[in-house]
Amino acid sequence: MKTILVSLNEATRTVNSGRHKITLLDNINLNVEEGEFISLMGPSGSGKSTLLNCIGMLDNFTDGGYTFLGEPVHSMKEKNRSKLYKEYIGFVFQAYHLIDELTVYENIETPLLYKNVKSSERKAMVADMLDRFNIVGKKDLFPVQLSGGQQQLVGIARALIGQPKLILADEPTGNLNSKQSEEIMELFAQLNKEGVTIIQATHSESNAAYGSRIINLLDGKIV
Amino acid sequence: MILNYIKIAFRTLRKNKGYSFLNIFGLAIGITCASLIFLWVEDEVSFDSDFSKQDQVYYVPTHQEYDGEWRTFNSTPGPFAEAMKAEIPGIVKASRTKHRDFLFAVNDNAINSGGRFVDEDFITIFSLKFVEGYAKEAFNNPEAIVITQETAEQLYGKNTKVLGKVLKVDNTDNYLITGVIENLPKNVTFPINWIAPFERWSGDKEWTNGYGSFFADTFVELSPEADFNAVNDQVLGLLEKKTGDSDSKAFLHSIKDWHLRGNFENGKQVGGRIDSVRLFTIIALIILLIACINFMNLSTARSEKRANEVGVRKAMGSGRSRLIFQFISEALILSFIATLVSVLLLFILLPQFNLLIERNLVLGLAEPLHIIFLLGITLVCGVFAGLYPAFYLSSFNPVEVLKGLKVTQGSATFIRKGLVVGQFTISIVFIICTILVYQQIQHVKNRDLGFDKDQLISLNVNGTMIEKFDVIKQDLIHTGAVSSVGLNNSGILNGGNNGSNLTWTGGTDTEDILIFFRYISSDFLETAGMKLAEGRGFSENVAKDSSSVLITESFAKLMGTGSAIGKKVIRDDTYTVIGVVKDYLFEDMYGQSDPVLFFNYLGESSYMYLKTNPNIEPNEMLSKVEAVMKKHNPAFPFEYSFVDDAFNAKFRSEQLIGKLSQLFALLAILISCLGLFGLAAYTAEQRSKEIGVRKVLGASVAGIVKLLSKDFLKLVGLSIVIAIPMAWYVIDNWLQNYAYRIEINWWIFVIAGFVAIVIAMITVSFQAIKAALANPVDSLKTE
Repeated sequence: MKTILVSLNEATRTVNSGRHKITLLDNINLNVEEGEFISLMGPSGSGKSTLLNCIGMLDNFTDGGYTFLGEPVHSMKEKNRSKLYKEYIGFVFQAYHLIDELTVYENIETPLLYKNVKSSERKAMVADMLDRFNIVGKKDLFPVQLSGGQQQLVGIARALIGQPKLILADEPTGNLNSKQSEEIMELFAQLNKEGVTIIQATHSESNAAYGSRIINLLDGKIV
Repeated sequence: MILNYIKIAFRTLRKNKGYSFLNIFGLAIGITCASLIFLWVEDEVSFDSDFSKQDQVYYVPTHQEYDGEWRTFNSTPGPFAEAMKAEIPGIVKASRTKHRDFLFAVNDNAINSGGRFVDEDFITIFSLKFVEGYAKEAFNNPEAIVITQETAEQLYGKNTKVLGKVLKVDNTDNYLITGVIENLPKNVTFPINWIAPFERWSGDKEWTNGYGSFFADTFVELSPEADFNAVNDQVLGLLEKKTGDSDSKAFLHSIKDWHLRGNFENGKQVGGRIDSVRLFTIIALIILLIACINFMNLSTARSEKRANEVGVRKAMGSGRSRLIFQFISEALILSFIATLVSVLLLFILLPQFNLLIERNLVLGLAEPLHIIFLLGITLVCGVFAGLYPAFYLSSFNPVEVLKGLKVTQGSATFIRKGLVVGQFTISIVFIICTILVYQQIQHVKNRDLGFDKDQLISLNVNGTMIEKFDVIKQDLIHTGAVSSVGLNNSGILNGGNNGSNLTWTGGTDTEDILIFFRYISSDFLETAGMKLAEGRGFSENVAKDSSSVLITESFAKLMGTGSAIGKKVIRDDTYTVIGVVKDYLFEDMYGQSDPVLFFNYLGESSYMYLKTNPNIEPNEMLSKVEAVMKKHNPAFPFEYSFVDDAFNAKFRSEQLIGKLSQLFALLAILISCLGLFGLAAYTAEQRSKEIGVRKVLGASVAGIVKLLSKDFLKLVGLSIVIAIPMAWYVIDNWLQNYAYRIEINWWIFVIAGFVAIVIAMITVSFQAIKAALANPVDSLKTE
């Protein structure tokens, strides 16, 4: 039997907007097994990003249970949560969110710095990654010198460098043209084959089709 | 990790050149300013600190009571030093001293050189180090003189053994060099170039042996075990015991206080230069504060630009503490660069600063203390300035900033506005103080002095100038360069010779009133431009007026109503008042005119005053005067001083405060403007979309400039409101030091406020106009 990576039990996220309480996620029940490739679909405002952020521990559920690899995230202290997430989770953003002041090499290296990886090891790991993505020649360029597709490639390389079990991708191809999109999705499919669990949020039916499972969201509920 | 931060910091700096320049330059000015002040403070507090016996050496001044008020004088009777040493157990060494200027002449080499006649103990008290001769034997010969290395070199050249040489002094007396001592440091309260046995000077002066005359500067050394308070109590009592008078008390003044705490009021120590030192230390800190505020302001203002990075880093797994550490490291790097820039600025500015404050400060970068100071200031500025931005920036929520939501800047905006108000408040206070200090100095300078300081030069009387006075006078006037010549025993601007115990007609209890004595030639009044209120001046025939006196108006008041002419003044002999001179100012230019009594007597003259012809070029006039003096007094070098220069010198400390407050006002404004400029730029950027929308809807350029400037002007307005009472309080306190002072006028506040508004307007509108002229299509497209 496969390991359950993420388990949500009646997970809810609400925010206060003025006097109103708005429910962004409403009693979500979801199990994600290791090796799955899930596509979250739904119109704007349906809660896809919020769900990704909460699973990624950048945000928290306000109610309900969340266990990650059997550990109860909802009752965890900030410090442990951060440790857990540094260890197992990688993020890919729609707008790439590379640090403009750092080169390609340094951008990919950053998560390792926060994991206190040794310098020699870091070098080897970043070199591997550059090699794997065929961007060795671009390692000293700054993000502004790259095309959107190349930037997203760097973004994915950065997400993978820490060898996470789970990649969370929020509309990873939203800013790309169809050809670039296709390349990125092929890459995700390849990574998934290699054993990385992926959850992506997307508007595109064709992108969603790369996934092993599609979950539809509407108004914060799984439909 | 650190390397990563440094990299980021430098790249951020390079990418935002304008911002980096504002930040570094502002901080560098602040650090430069503070460094200059602290160099000066260091010099001030190090006065006399090179002498080794800091806890044992004391000067002995006296408090004397006149008319119910205690005044403090730097003089003691001749035998008092010996008496203290003999009768007070804690005092182990004591020396009388008397300052004199000598003219040394070796072949053609003649120099004027100040020094002191001292008792042998003086050598031990000040731990003078002999490089030639021996301290123990130096004063064995009554004709001995000990000179400093510098003096020896000036007279005989370098590397010449001078021990045993005979030195001609004032072209009349021979002194035998029995020792050469190391030079004294430059910053000492009592500088000396030579010392000679006290008896050489006092030998034929019978009056120096009694308790009737206060004339000597007395120094004592306490034994290391002595209890200061116990010894001081005995010193206080001893003079009274010796003189039988309860109205003069000697006391001990520590070497540590000579320079900084030398002011006394009614017998109490009331500070001195330490007040200026404190004031300027505070000012230095304030300027640093302004510079740090700039830094905080600019850093938080451009937070939007950094927000994304913060979000990404948090998503990459950075904890908050790491981000705080990163931002503080960046601030430290910036402040380190600022320090380097300021060292460069210091190199350029220090000579100018030295000219301004008339000192010779050196940067001394090799001195550990200075290095520590610079590093300390770098660290403190970096951490202090970086702390708030670091906490603020690191608090961003990654979900929000990565979504591209506007960072909510509620508290930051409030704090930023508060900081701008703080900066401008300080700047405006500086402006107001500068104007008022300037006014006060001008006010006193333009005061009616009771004499005419212009076209007046003074010569020191020496050699045969008194005997040949009539001929000299005639020849000087004959040159056409001089219109009048007069003699005086005292400098016209100085307090000098005074005493009490006089009686006069129409006065009761007159013994206690302090009267100043002047021995003058008949034409002194004319020379100095003093006016008679009634009666006549002295006649040219000294004998005729030997028992006549002139008095000033304030003296006449002491004689009661009615004309003072014909009234009597008794000072041992009885004198008749023949004229009343209008009051004039001396010593304290801010004070009242003290009563003066003039005698017609030339024998005591120390100064010759010349009223010069304004139609003759000063250089030509001086060479004509010099020719006459060379002819009649050939043995002495021709030295002169302009009375108006000496007058201006009286305002040195006020002028220093004036000049420095001008400088600091300028710098404070400059730094504040750098900050405001940066803030305006970021506000304009932040509101670029709003501006775009408004322009599309038909807003005019002027309307948008007004919109952007309004908020800043409100802040400056608030600063003015806060600054006015602060400035009022500060300056009113300062003015209380002066009896003769200006009224604080309301229009000065109006001017200062106006200046601040205009400067702020110029700074802000530059950015506002730029933003208003931008094409709205560009700003709207980016969203």
